[in-house]
Amino acid sequence: MTVALTLPERLDTSAAPELADTLAAELGQDIEIDAAPVTHLGALCLQVLLSAAKTWAARGQSLTISNINDTMAGQLTLFGVTPDHLGGPRE
Amino acid sequence: MADNTDAMAEIRASFFTECEELLESLQDGLDAVWNETSDEETINVIFRAVHSVKGGAGAFGLTQLVDFAHRYETALDEVRAGKLVPEGEVLKLFFRAADILSDLLQAAKEDGELDPATFEEVLSGLAALAGGEEEEEEALDFQPLILDIGDETPQLAELPGELPPGLPPLSGPAEGEGDAQGDSGGHIYFAAEKELFLNGNEPLYLFRALADLTELTSRCNMDDLPDLSDLDPAVCHLSWDLTTGADIDAAAVAEVFEFVEGLCTFRHRLPEPELPELPALPELPVLPGAPDTAVGAGADGEPGVAPAPDAGAPPQASDAPAPKLSTDQDAKAPAAPKAGAQKPAPAKPNPTIRVDLERVDRLVNLVGELVINQAMLSQSVTEVDMPPNAAITKGLDEFMQLTRSLQDSVMRIRAQPVKALFQRMGRIVREVATEVNKNVLLKTEGETTEVDKTVIERLADPLTHMIRNAVDHGLESTEARLAAGKPERGTVTLTAGHRSGRVVIEISDDGAGINRPKVRQIAIDKKLIEETAELSDSDIDMLLFMPGFSTASEVSNLSGRGVGMDVVKTAIQALGGRVSITSTPGQGTCFSISLPLTLAVLDGMVVEAAGQALVLPLNVIEETMTVEAAMLGEMGRETQVLRIREGFAPLLDLGTEMGFRTPLESYLDHVALLIAHEDGSRSALVVDRIVDQRQVVIKGLQNTFGQIPGVAAATILGDGQIALILDPLDITMNASGRTRQPSLSLAG
Repeated sequence: MTVALTLPERLDTSAAPELADTLAAELGQDIEIDAAPVTHLGALCLQVLLSAAKTWAARGQSLTISNINDTMAGQLTLFGVTPDHLGGPRE
Repeated sequence: MADNTDAMAEIRASFFTECEELLESLQDGLDAVWNETSDEETINVIFRAVHSVKGGAGAFGLTQLVDFAHRYETALDEVRAGKLVPEGEVLKLFFRAADILSDLLQAAKEDGELDPATFEEVLSGLAALAGGEEEEEEALDFQPLILDIGDETPQLAELPGELPPGLPPLSGPAEGEGDAQGDSGGHIYFAAEKELFLNGNEPLYLFRALADLTELTSRCNMDDLPDLSDLDPAVCHLSWDLTTGADIDAAAVAEVFEFVEGLCTFRHRLPEPELPELPALPELPVLPGAPDTAVGAGADGEPGVAPAPDAGAPPQASDAPAPKLSTDQDAKAPAAPKAGAQKPAPAKPNPTIRVDLERVDRLVNLVGELVINQAMLSQSVTEVDMPPNAAITKGLDEFMQLTRSLQDSVMRIRAQPVKALFQRMGRIVREVATEVNKNVLLKTEGETTEVDKTVIERLADPLTHMIRNAVDHGLESTEARLAAGKPERGTVTLTAGHRSGRVVIEISDDGAGINRPKVRQIAIDKKLIEETAELSDSDIDMLLFMPGFSTASEVSNLSGRGVGMDVVKTAIQALGGRVSITSTPGQGTCFSISLPLTLAVLDGMVVEAAGQALVLPLNVIEETMTVEAAMLGEMGRETQVLRIREGFAPLLDLGTEMGFRTPLESYLDHVALLIAHEDGSRSALVVDRIVDQRQVVIKGLQNTFGQIPGVAAATILGDGQIALILDPLDITMNASGRTRQPSLSLAG
């Protein structure tokens, strides 16, 4: 079963623990993350997403991130991260 | 999470407090430029202030503020780069932008946003300043690579996927080699500590700020990243290798990371500093080979993006294949003015702490109680028959001194310099001057004068009104000034200073002075005075403060605003202050506000009149004397005067004026207190005896009893008795003057 998850608009420092909890709760499931609403991606949330991608990949399960908008793409660039790192095709 | 939210709220609150300081230095800087007292560093200070506001605002997601600050900063950067001279309209725009920044902050503080229409004009003005130069700048400053959420992002969105493979070998920090490889750019290693986030900082903004300054390539190092189940989301396991363009100097990089110092691991290696040909760069055609060395962008199929600046790289790269990995801070950036960013280390300010005002007030209250308690204790001790020099008496003396210095110190905590208040007035002057189309310079003096915080807060409104008046009415129109042979630019001077235990704030203008015949006529028209009234110049001036007096025929919608000068006067009196006017025709008008240093304690004289203990503020009592027969003179039916040396002063019986008694038959051997008025006149207030001279704690009556004529407040004396603190000026101004029994003279 694939779980669908939509990211909130602001992924700032204060959002990181919740994001980690939310994702950790889905461990063991395939997951599809919709990044469309994101307007701000902070380093700590980026880290959660990267860690999740790594964790899912290590367990041979699928984690995809889709709908990375231009704003988020710009922020990823600043961080030196590509959508591939996050486990997603970008659109 | 609740703790987290609280912590965030706290950080947010301290951000706004810091912003106030930043705005202050921004204003200072702009004022310095305006007054032509600025130096090279000034513009950097201005820039840093706006930049820091932007950075902080970003951390809290205040997008409107970030966007505006960004535009402002971009325009300021033009000045820093020496492409724009801050004068005339440009400077005015900067001032207005600072005002809007302040408004935006205020709105953000209240969780709101400003209507974009209110600052659209300024925003486009700033954009025009920055934009006009942008094309040239693209060549020099890597501007197109501003990695912002703005319009450029679509192109940038193309970058991430292809970027690492596209990196040219020279500049690419490819897989660890970057550190050892020489190239045209600098290298930064950055890893954030947990505290960095706790303090509301965000690497994204640092990187963006850097990207605003130079071409930036980031590589995220995620080797230490744990599995999600082991991840502490508050700790950052990522680190970054950043490659900057060659155009950025160490000072500029250091500035970006200035606010996270100690909160991160940060190592910066400079680009090879030797770039002698570079100043001529904008003139150069694109050098062959440029695309090869373009960092990221050029290699990525973005031919329009910044080929020229990279042209500087190849000669350098080939000339210096193995640049030394220097930590030398003398890197010369191609944009020479930016090197000006290197600054002498600013003097360290005194360490400070921020304290909740409520806590200070509690302390002030407690110390107030202590003072009362100490007075009571002294009184009880004197009532017991103690041998002189008893240890307890000496101990009490020391106790009193300690209490006093404790109180002084506590009061000083509440004191603040009037500078922030004065800066707000600068804005008022600019706004009003624009609206009434006058050229006005605001001069301020004594900005460091400290006044009680409450006084400052409550002074803002009256002062605003007086400043508006000074610009609107005080100063003549430009034509009239020129006709009178005055400089075109009018001057409004705002000064503050301590004068005999009070704070005196003066608002003066070099305008035409008060048009006294006109003021008098208006007062007659409004039936405020009798047509036949004989008024001295200062009496006429004081008419301005009468309720109902408004020079409506000339009041523009500006100074009007439904507030008359009488309201100003009332507000100042409520602070225990007084206003006076001096005006010289053709030369200007000066409003002088005299205020108590604090609203909490008062040096008072305890007197007795008609069996009541009353307190008079010591500072208005010029001298005291015993009434002798030779000094008394009769005047009119019910009044007497006191001859003091070469002058006369009306004799006023405090007991009668307060309604405690009818006038006495004789005031011989009573004590007369000579009260000095602001206008230099005096009156003699007669009391039965002087009891003591001491510091009293002011207990407000206004909340309970409203404004009582002649009474300023109350206090508790050492014996527990409540005594009224009087406002002698109010009493003398509204005095009946009755000091004789009318029946004795021409009754009927």
